[in-house]
Amino acid sequence: MKVSTADPSQLKDRLISDISFDYSVFKMRLLEFVKPFMAVIPEIASPDRKVPFNQKLLWTIVTLLIYLVMSQVPLYGIVSSDSSDPLYWMRVIMASNRGTLMELGITPIITSGMIMQLLAGAQLIEVDYSLREDRALFSGAQKLLAMLITFGSATVAVMTGNYGEPKGLGVGICLLLIIQLFVSGLIAILLDELLQKGYGLGSGINLFIAVNICEDIIWKALSPLTINSGRGPEFEGAIIAFFHLMFVRKNKFSALFEALYRSNLPNLTNLVATALVFATVIYLQGFRVEIPVKSARFRGHRASYPVKLFYTSNMPIMLQSALASNIFLVSQLLFNRFPNNFLVGLIGRWEPFEGSSHFVPVSGLVYYMTPPKSFFHSFKDPIQFVFYVIYMVTICALLSRAWLDVSGSGPRDVAKELRDQQTVIAGHRDTSMYKELKRIIPTAATVGGVIIALLSIGADLMGAIGSGTGILLAVTIIFNYFEIFAKEQMEAGNVGLGSL
Amino acid sequence: MSEKDSKSTVVESSSVPRNIRARRGAAQSARSNATSRQQPKATGSSRTMMRLYSDDSPGLRVDPVVLMVMCLVFIASVFMLHLFGKLTRG
Repeated sequence: MKVSTADPSQLKDRLISDISFDYSVFKMRLLEFVKPFMAVIPEIASPDRKVPFNQKLLWTIVTLLIYLVMSQVPLYGIVSSDSSDPLYWMRVIMASNRGTLMELGITPIITSGMIMQLLAGAQLIEVDYSLREDRALFSGAQKLLAMLITFGSATVAVMTGNYGEPKGLGVGICLLLIIQLFVSGLIAILLDELLQKGYGLGSGINLFIAVNICEDIIWKALSPLTINSGRGPEFEGAIIAFFHLMFVRKNKFSALFEALYRSNLPNLTNLVATALVFATVIYLQGFRVEIPVKSARFRGHRASYPVKLFYTSNMPIMLQSALASNIFLVSQLLFNRFPNNFLVGLIGRWEPFEGSSHFVPVSGLVYYMTPPKSFFHSFKDPIQFVFYVIYMVTICALLSRAWLDVSGSGPRDVAKELRDQQTVIAGHRDTSMYKELKRIIPTAATVGGVIIALLSIGADLMGAIGSGTGILLAVTIIFNYFEIFAKEQMEAGNVGLGSL
Repeated sequence: MSEKDSKSTVVESSSVPRNIRARRGAAQSARSNATSRQQPKATGSSRTMMRLYSDDSPGLRVDPVVLMVMCLVFIASVFMLHLFGKLTRG
């Protein structure tokens, strides 16, 4: 009798505990799922001692060379790559080159990184970063996902006829194309890991993006290709074209005017705008708030904890363009498939741009998300321009703010960091440190995001080479590299002094 | 090769077997990694990129030199494919 009365409540308790238990198991399992694959995921062996600066430089340069070669070698088996390029908007941040081995560039790495970070940030995957096993599983999962994405996008690119009709190519060539894309994607993943593990400087992702954009800028400035567009042969490179025009033309003023403002090819104003954006960003990089901190252990030991204006660096613009280019991609695919659907038209309508095979949005939501093509173009459609500015500023500010939490560099994390170091902000108690940081860091992040967005818009308006997004990414990355160089050299110097 | 050897003797003069040394190194790096997350970054700003591959995971170990060789072999084989394609078509 006793048992039967006690049972229901006990059962209920057990049921509840069972359910909650199951739930936690499910959460853990998402990572555990990767475990069986861990053995087959290729991984760079960590250096067993610190790699000296010169060797790091060497590794970085070799990696760079491999990347550059791979981004020039065309894929074997391509029939044509003149068709509209649906990934056009992504090329800049993905460091990829159409029709070459670097067709995918670092897309898989970035995509998988973002997905995993977001899942972890939203607590859908529980990762305890203090556990070594969890961290290993998490990075393993990232890599596995990156490999899957590589394979998937390679297959999709080939099967959708990116390089010519799959039937015309034949099964053998299709397979070869997929293999080439997959292996080069894998190489990109491993090269990135090689640099990140401490063999090289910075990370592969950053290096590849910066180099890709710099290559573009230098090419546009110095390209010796001649193009005939009805006014006699013209050089593509802006600087070379300037000298060529000045020597060839009788009327020097018209020659100068043309070198400065020709619209079909890169001109000198574009180049000047690029340099201007470079200079502005580097100038703004120096803006920072120095929070005075003092050591709680040693009296009188003071230092400062700098909070930069660009606290989140180039992340807002990077996330924004990743987001936008994915929407562009989907919208373009949808429009190609259902050109007459009302909803699809609402998202975006696409038309070929001035006779080329490159598609641009002409109406719909997506239209308001594309940067204005030039200063004059923004006058033609001021509503679009205003929308674009509002959209850019808001999204960059929000993403910059959100990045604090996702990346673990928010005020709470910094406060913890400082506390672990046994330092406190001068003039504040240990407990009010978080409040003080909360006042400064999110503000810096938001304002930094807004300024980055404005800079990007400005660069686009002035027609800077390689799009505003691209230039901002390149400058911030190059600046980071300078900082790394300075730090490494300082460390090397210290070691040298210490050994004497 | 000799350079590599001389360096390893400078760093570790003891005659510990290699695998033990490696294990100790891994353990050390794990410990340093666990604490390094709390160390302040010199610039005070967040790292630009995602937190990727910061640790060793028990995967298929690839030596960087091997990776480089693999890259070169891959690029060379694509070149060969191009050449082969040109020759057979032409």
